[in-house]
Amino acid sequence: MPGPAFETLRVLVVEDNQHMRSLLRSLLNSIGIREIHEAANGTAALDILREKPCDLVLSDLSMKPMDGIDFTRDVRQSPRSANPFLPVIMVTGHTERHKVEAARDAGVTEFIAKPVTAQNLFTRIAEIVERPRAFVRCESYFGPDRRRKAQEDYAGPWRRHGDQHDLQVP
Amino acid sequence: MKKVQVIPPDDYPQMVSKSDAAKMARALRSPETAARGAQVIQQAGQRLRLAVHDYVRELESAAGNLPLVFEKAHELRGFAETAGLRATGRIAAGLCRYFDDMEKLGATPDKAVVALHVSAIARAAHAKDEAGRMSDAVVKELAALVAHKLAETKAALAG
Repeated sequence: MPGPAFETLRVLVVEDNQHMRSLLRSLLNSIGIREIHEAANGTAALDILREKPCDLVLSDLSMKPMDGIDFTRDVRQSPRSANPFLPVIMVTGHTERHKVEAARDAGVTEFIAKPVTAQNLFTRIAEIVERPRAFVRCESYFGPDRRRKAQEDYAGPWRRHGDQHDLQVP
Repeated sequence: MKKVQVIPPDDYPQMVSKSDAAKMARALRSPETAARGAQVIQQAGQRLRLAVHDYVRELESAAGNLPLVFEKAHELRGFAETAGLRATGRIAAGLCRYFDDMEKLGATPDKAVVALHVSAIARAAHAKDEAGRMSDAVVKELAALVAHKLAETKAALAG
């Protein structure tokens, strides 16, 4: 068993496929996580989050009536959100570039392409636990920093308030 | 200047303490944990395969209803391979890509191409040697057919 710290974690699984939900629950159980809530879509997930605080969300992308992108956007931006910093791992078969970018721009923390493997899932959770990302707030975005790595050889424009002054683009 | 506020991880609540984080990450990355997780998936295999067969039946029933076919194929793409039905998942993934590419071109998917994929998915899902050479050949043939149809559609749209 990985350890007692997992027993205190509260996870929400948002997935319209009940078999997938059940599989994700079993995988989380296997690392010692006990408190797992389930929702079949984004609307139901937001209802759960209002009642029960969670530490981590695993969410599918394509669901009705509310999909994983709108759900994530609501978690990040709604004034009613209990925790706008909540880590959201998107678990989806939609790997088309525009869908991945839409998920990223909604504020998703990590992305897992189906088919799910135990190793993929556990590695993503480890990333969130070990290397939590800074959050960025600007006019058009609130969510985890989308620049995942420091690029020392970056030659493009620097636009952020905190970037080097001599390189900032007015 | 665009005003951007960067909030470092120490300035917002974390899901675990720093002292627990390293231990948890080590445990999550350990081969033992991965093996236990793989066993969970393997144990769920039979139940998942039955669920895949249900989705395949729904996919076959959806014949002609392209949005519904896409929805069911998408479920299979994300699910069949986890259930141990690798070829079924790959054919479903090919069908989803075909739908996406045709949508990008602004064209309607060819019903015959869709029907061939649906038929191949159904056969693969019930085949005894699901991930065998025959299935690999079918995946390749269908990919070639899709590439040909996409080129044909692009040429027709350009002309």
